[in-house]
Amino acid sequence: MQDLLNSALQAIENANNSNELKEIEIKYLGKKGLITEQLKTLKDLSEEDKRTTGKAIQEIKQKFLSAYQKKASQLEIEEINSKLTAEFFDITLPRLNKINHSKKGTIHPLNQLQQQVEEIFSDMGFEIADGPEVESEYYNFEALNIPSHHPARDMQDTFFIENKADPKHGELILRTHTSPVQIRTMELKGAPLRIIVPGRVFRYEATDATHDSTFNQVEGLLIDKNIGLADLKGIMEEFLSRLFEKDITVRFRPGYFPFVEPGLELDILWQKGKNGQSDKWLEFMGAGMVHPNVLKAGGIDPENNQGWAFGFGITRLAMIKYQIADIRQIHNSDLRFLKQF
Amino acid sequence: MKISINWLKNYVNIPDNTDINQLAELFTTRTAEVEEVIDLASTFDKMVVGKIEAIEPHPNADKLQITQTNVGGEILKIVCGAQNIYIGQKVAVAKNGAKVKWHGEGELVELKPTKIRGEESNGMICAASEIGLKDEEDGIMDLSNLEAEPGTSLAEALQKNDQIIDIDNKSLTHRPDLWGHYGIAREVAAITGQSLKPIELHHEYPSTETIIPVEIKAKDHCKRYLSTTIENIQVGPSPEWLKNALENTGNRSINNIVDATNFVMLELGNPLHAFDTNKIKEKIIIRTAEKGEKIETLKEGEKELDSDMLIIADKEKPLAIAGIMGGLNSGINNETTSITLEAANFDPISTRKTSVKLGIRTESVQRFEKDLDPLLAEQAFDRLVKIILDLCPSAKIVSAKNDQKNFDYQIKTVKLDLNKVRSKIGVQIESMEIEEKLKNLEFKVKKLDTHHLEVEVPSFRATKDINHQDDLIEEIARLYGYEKIPTRIPELSLTLPKPNTERLEKYSIRNILSLECGYNETLNYSFYSKKTLQNAGLEASKHLKIKNFLSEEQTHLRTTLLPNLLITAANNLKVEDGFKLFEIGRTFIYQNEYFPLEEKHLAGLLVLPKKSKMEPFYEVRDDISRLLERLRITSLKYKRAEKACSMAHPNKHAAFFDFKTQQEIVQIYELHPLIAKNFDLEKNRIACFEINYSLLHKLNRADQKYKAISKYPAVEFDISAILNNNIEYQTLESQIKNIDKNLVKSVQLFDYYKGPNINEGKISMAFKIKLQSNDRTLTDQEIKEIQQNAFQVLQKLGGEIRGL
Repeated sequence: MQDLLNSALQAIENANNSNELKEIEIKYLGKKGLITEQLKTLKDLSEEDKRTTGKAIQEIKQKFLSAYQKKASQLEIEEINSKLTAEFFDITLPRLNKINHSKKGTIHPLNQLQQQVEEIFSDMGFEIADGPEVESEYYNFEALNIPSHHPARDMQDTFFIENKADPKHGELILRTHTSPVQIRTMELKGAPLRIIVPGRVFRYEATDATHDSTFNQVEGLLIDKNIGLADLKGIMEEFLSRLFEKDITVRFRPGYFPFVEPGLELDILWQKGKNGQSDKWLEFMGAGMVHPNVLKAGGIDPENNQGWAFGFGITRLAMIKYQIADIRQIHNSDLRFLKQF
Repeated sequence: MKISINWLKNYVNIPDNTDINQLAELFTTRTAEVEEVIDLASTFDKMVVGKIEAIEPHPNADKLQITQTNVGGEILKIVCGAQNIYIGQKVAVAKNGAKVKWHGEGELVELKPTKIRGEESNGMICAASEIGLKDEEDGIMDLSNLEAEPGTSLAEALQKNDQIIDIDNKSLTHRPDLWGHYGIAREVAAITGQSLKPIELHHEYPSTETIIPVEIKAKDHCKRYLSTTIENIQVGPSPEWLKNALENTGNRSINNIVDATNFVMLELGNPLHAFDTNKIKEKIIIRTAEKGEKIETLKEGEKELDSDMLIIADKEKPLAIAGIMGGLNSGINNETTSITLEAANFDPISTRKTSVKLGIRTESVQRFEKDLDPLLAEQAFDRLVKIILDLCPSAKIVSAKNDQKNFDYQIKTVKLDLNKVRSKIGVQIESMEIEEKLKNLEFKVKKLDTHHLEVEVPSFRATKDINHQDDLIEEIARLYGYEKIPTRIPELSLTLPKPNTERLEKYSIRNILSLECGYNETLNYSFYSKKTLQNAGLEASKHLKIKNFLSEEQTHLRTTLLPNLLITAANNLKVEDGFKLFEIGRTFIYQNEYFPLEEKHLAGLLVLPKKSKMEPFYEVRDDISRLLERLRITSLKYKRAEKACSMAHPNKHAAFFDFKTQQEIVQIYELHPLIAKNFDLEKNRIACFEINYSLLHKLNRADQKYKAISKYPAVEFDISAILNNNIEYQTLESQIKNIDKNLVKSVQLFDYYKGPNINEGKISMAFKIKLQSNDRTLTDQEIKEIQQNAFQVLQKLGGEIRGL
């Protein structure tokens, strides 16, 4: 019986086209096919033998069928492909009518805004730095003074990649913020540093109108000798005023981020309070003086260098600037949305 | 965290005329974010205590009665449907203009003068559910036990004359000292320049033996454990002040003992627990659980424990999950007469881990995980005993104060460089002012020299957030006032930033593709599903897989941008027929190293309208050729792709190839009909491109050079030929040009035909050939020679020249 199977599989293997294959199927599984015949003999056997032999024949039939299916779909693709390649296609042939009949295309609003942000910071002497989106726990957390038991490291915030952990780097993850590029750039270039890092970040977070698992941030880092919080206020007011094309007032208030000390939140004055009502502030970003542990992790001496870092969500900024109500519009690639920009 | 202003007033002076919104604003800018100020009294607006002076039956309704209710200075006629009213009873009256919930359900409704079955009614005698004090309806509220006179505002009578500030918990992550009213009061005192009042503690304990001995086995997990036993306890409802304190801050009142433990937790920030002494077998043991050991918790049902979880147990069984939740078996109930109190300091990390593992998050966990001051446990303990003795005057402490410590408290000092303070804040703050700010926050300050201080950190700040100079700079900066920091543009050394050419080129690419070629830029997610990658014919093994994916649609990181673009195309086809899309983004390819190969790609596609007869491949090819030309990339060779990508039509694909590195940097292809079918795109013809931008960007750029314009006339002639259809046009063109590279300026195809009247396997082409010299006018002889050569070239390639 094994021989029967082997010769059947061999025949399938050798089939050159679907007609040949069809014939093989009839030869083995047709009304008088070789496997069919075997099944017919079962009725003459004892109950016991019927069970064992029957099982064996069924197995052979299954193996035959699965080999047959595989070959059939392979042949089908080959036949389609050979039909598709039957005629010579000249990849170099010029178009006779070269008039460009395309309508004007559009640039994604997020990228338009990001370009503006990059240009403003470039004008203020900042370099644009980059880093990987697939990061290690070391760069994303440890080096940023977020030890392993910190709440931000719980499964709910971070996407983990199936990969072997590394003794230094830990698990492989999708970066949850652009801050790891602080460390990578410090390692690469040392002090002084003046960079911004715009880029995509990921959070393990259910999606709704204001939350998405993917969004963009802009990180900023300035390390030099005598840099203080007053400079952060100055740079941010200048940046925001240029971006919004009007004078913008910002305020600091305390905020907690493990990689800065003092840690701050920066708010934008959105509406001046009228008739004794309080002003309306818009929460804009987290910032602060770079924590000495972070400078050390980046190989910079915290005794002789100091500076600040900030990070804001540019996706959110785009939503504010263009009055986009639902964050899911950003990544759903709907032309009715894209064509408005 | 909800903080009651009335409660705070016990510890710090907040004048009655203080604008709480302003105080909240100050707290936000100095300490932590106040999310909301809630005026509890506002819900009781236009509600007062009333006294029923007379009741008569309603002439037109059996179930209604007419009352004359004194609301202080006036008597209101109010129709009432409840049966539990009597003359002389004090009740809650909602006057016209007040907002109530009818029968405790639905939206708030404003009361207006009305007639009920023909009888005038002004206001309403309320049930607790109708003014939001209870969920279920149970007759009108009887306020007769209150001392309040008729006309007293209901908020005042019910002690709801309070304002609550709700502080964002996240902004307190690093401040274990702010998890109770007393800590907040200390902060308010510091930022308003007031002093903090001490709290009353109990100090006298009998020196008798401990009734319930305590043994700490897991010393690493428990820094401190205080306990004592109090007998003659009467469990019952809490007095109004205690009930209100809890309820106004969003907690429920259970009974006097449990409420006392919660009160002190909300006051001082250290969680506490009370066990029923009679339910403890012999002793209290603080140990890690045995794997599989189970406990029936007070509120979360049965939980199976792990060997790294800390529990409070007796000789026989677990009594509580340490720092997280008590067990049902040792809880306080109305029969309890003897209680054993616990005030402890549990390890923050292990408490947090256990809480995450068991999925139980409580007020207690929230505090222990912040790393509490071990000295606070004793303060909270003495405070709890004081409150319980106040609540149960006949109760008696029968056991010594058992205090087990596994920590060695040392005063922490930090050296502070005053010039660093000024430099990092960016303000010249006077030394005196720096010292004053620190003292306001209960730091002790010693002058070392003119520029340095030695700062002693109070114990309640020492466990977590104050470790070095920068932590003190934060304290000084925020108390100084962040709003007072001026804006300044930094003085920087004159090093010019290096341009990020990769980014700059992206700007150009976006402009070329969108504005010149008509593509719309999209952004898609970086992941797709296993089904999608299979539909695109990709190998799963080259992909990075997300361990904790959010949905089945987002399990694998993309190795190419195309599959998501195809999905996008299918979605857009529902509303639009024919369009161009492109995307710039990262791809991730698994390699046998820790980090994957992460590259920047640029990909796009053209979806032809259903009726179009165009060849989409050529259009995309020309777009990409234009892009490369505009980027001045001339070093790539255009040719048939060595190995077409899995999504490519087997015949219609090409690549721009880098000879130096043997890499196909650009791929162009028509979408394979089978792949198109997988993505529901079979009705339209689609051509795609994908460019490895990381590689493309590194290529050399051609110099832009001027070519002299010839002063001599150009001559054109046409050739029409029938050719074999397996010759690439590029071959024809280059061979014709090769006849004389100086003179043949251009070869242009102007007619192309195959089909009827032309033999199978043949095509008809017509070219316009332009000749021109830079240094002379061409002679007829020269032109004729080139023409003849061109005929020969075509004939050698098997062509038949028409009209010859």
